[in-house]
Amino acid sequence: MKLLFTVLALVVGTLPAAAQWLDRPWPGIPRTADGKPNLTAPAPRGPDGKPDLTGIWGGGNPEAALDPANEKPWVHELVIQRQREYHRGRPSYQCLPSGPEVDRFGATKRILQTPTTIVMMMDDLSYRVIHMDGRELEANPAPSWMGYSVGHWEGDALIVDSNGYNEKTWLSRYGQAHTEKLRVREVYRRKDFGHMDAEVTFTDPAAYVKPWGIKSEFRLDADDEMLESICERSSEHWAGTAADAEQRAVTVAPDVLAKYVGTYTGVYLNIKRTIEVTLSNGQLIARVIGGAAIDGGEMRPLVPQTDTLFEGVGLGYQFNVDEKGVAKSVTEIKVAGPITYTRVK
Amino acid sequence: MRLLLAALILTMGTSPAGAQWLDRATPGIPRTPDGKPNLTAPAPRGPDGKPDLTGLWKNARVVGRPTPADLQPWVLDLASKYQEEYYKTRPFYQCRPSGPEAERFGETWKRIIQTPAVIALLNDDLTSRVIHTDGRALEADPAPSFSGYSVGRWEGDTLVVESNGYNDKTWTSRYGISHTEKLRVTERYRRPDVGHLQVVVTYTDPTAYTRPWGFTADLTLAADTEMLEEVCEKTSDHWVQLSSTASATVTVPPDVMARYVGVYTGIYGGSLRTYEVSLAGGQLIATILGEKIEGGLGAPGLDEGAARTLVPQSQTVFEGLGLAYRFVVDDKGVAKDLVVIHISGPYTYHRVR
Repeated sequence: MKLLFTVLALVVGTLPAAAQWLDRPWPGIPRTADGKPNLTAPAPRGPDGKPDLTGIWGGGNPEAALDPANEKPWVHELVIQRQREYHRGRPSYQCLPSGPEVDRFGATKRILQTPTTIVMMMDDLSYRVIHMDGRELEANPAPSWMGYSVGHWEGDALIVDSNGYNEKTWLSRYGQAHTEKLRVREVYRRKDFGHMDAEVTFTDPAAYVKPWGIKSEFRLDADDEMLESICERSSEHWAGTAADAEQRAVTVAPDVLAKYVGTYTGVYLNIKRTIEVTLSNGQLIARVIGGAAIDGGEMRPLVPQTDTLFEGVGLGYQFNVDEKGVAKSVTEIKVAGPITYTRVK
Repeated sequence: MRLLLAALILTMGTSPAGAQWLDRATPGIPRTPDGKPNLTAPAPRGPDGKPDLTGLWKNARVVGRPTPADLQPWVLDLASKYQEEYYKTRPFYQCRPSGPEAERFGETWKRIIQTPAVIALLNDDLTSRVIHTDGRALEADPAPSFSGYSVGRWEGDTLVVESNGYNDKTWTSRYGISHTEKLRVTERYRRPDVGHLQVVVTYTDPTAYTRPWGFTADLTLAADTEMLEEVCEKTSDHWVQLSSTASATVTVPPDVMARYVGVYTGIYGGSLRTYEVSLAGGQLIATILGEKIEGGLGAPGLDEGAARTLVPQSQTVFEGLGLAYRFVVDDKGVAKDLVVIHISGPYTYHRVR
């Protein structure tokens, strides 16, 4: 088990970027008097007079809240099951394409626009193509991960229609399922140089009572570069369910566990996060303050795998101890790499 | 040929496509009087007068085969080790990006999109790369990546691309040829006419190679059709090894194996392929007919045409060079089909003799 977790201390490819064009100003963009990108300048237009969406865009964290009343029963069951095995089942944790998943939709992307084709390239090297040459969607498309997309302009709004998605992807990280009959409509409006509204609607009558979707705002990452972020190893081999962890559980004496009780802080996704570890009836509990339900919620019972390594909601929690066995920090082990929280109390 | 492809069941995620714009005429390309694409018409040019490389380009036969003299000894040693577990070690079979690998450059269809500042190369395996043509220079100390960093400039009608910043997790050739993070790749793209794109690629890496080496790819425009996804869904962790490590604990009587002897034909990689199965010295041998590449890198069986000994795993399943060979038999035990199981799925060859 420890071996599995140590193997797990891998990076999903984010680069400690010292260089790489990250501080290189983009040539030819509007700037304010102090040389910064002028994000409220008018949106650029292509040779055909249409807005040009070319650029590197950051996401906006779209939130695709669950709406059980809108889900067909089979979808609802699948959502619950997927949340239980989240770290194993989510396509991006399997190093598989995310297709129409809105949470990946919000990730950094490079958009290139020509009159006949618009391409959206993601930082995991996947991409999708929007055909602007007047073709229509096929009535009976062969299912694929990224679907098939056609686009047209309505005034300054780009309307994109897509179909042909296989069933292996989720509509959001919450695990909403869809069928191969899913239709997606996106509407993009580049309001000004640095801002683009994006609206996504999912229509799939076999899965959802009514169409539903999300709104997001993309921001231009001017003067920046998009760095590769590759999923190198899927989570198949290590993040099990709670049941798996129970099976492998060992017993750790309460006085050892007591040395891990405390408050730990660290940074997760650029946000400061606090973990409170308490001992209750011989079991360690980690309370991740602010932990979203999808990530296992706040309260995570920690199941011992060794004296210092615990499993909580499919993640590894490794207590780093001094020579007296007192924890000085705890490392949370995810597919994307380990995050260490330092003990403050 | 695409229709034949449609008959293939590929667990690698390609769609056996009945539709999908596969027969749709590509707008905007010049045509002959009978309506066919005129592949020898002059290459299109962009507003800046430079050739426009935009288009869908088919896969092409590329052999990225350095001679042993091109390689530092450690690279040759490592190549032999990788070849033994080829189906487990090749990055592509790990569902990882192939980076600068020569054969993958040839194996993939690619969509090229050319804009003034960026040229994008989009591969059918859902990997991509960009070439910056906005005048920037390569970084001296790039952060290593799978896809590298590329800048391009025009020399007359040739696009010259320089790349660096590759991590050392990829190969430059499917023969298990490694490179270091100091690898530099130079590509020269020429589009002499509408239908053709010639690419000359050179690999320079003094720590790995005694001298630069490379390959040429001649790509053809995929006119009037569309590119389909070929996504790697499962790694080869679970099942394949080369014969040297496969255990031969199963014995199959010679008269049973005799019923498998014959010639089998099917589709692989978009073309017809023929296997000849023979019995020699009490062992079944499978040989791919018709394709031959000269040797030199000590890569038995990675070369098409090599005979492969089939090691029995059961009465009907054999292992040969990391692939599974399954004979489908009738009620008399006579083989009707041979199914060869790759990472990308099973390929069925029908017995013709």
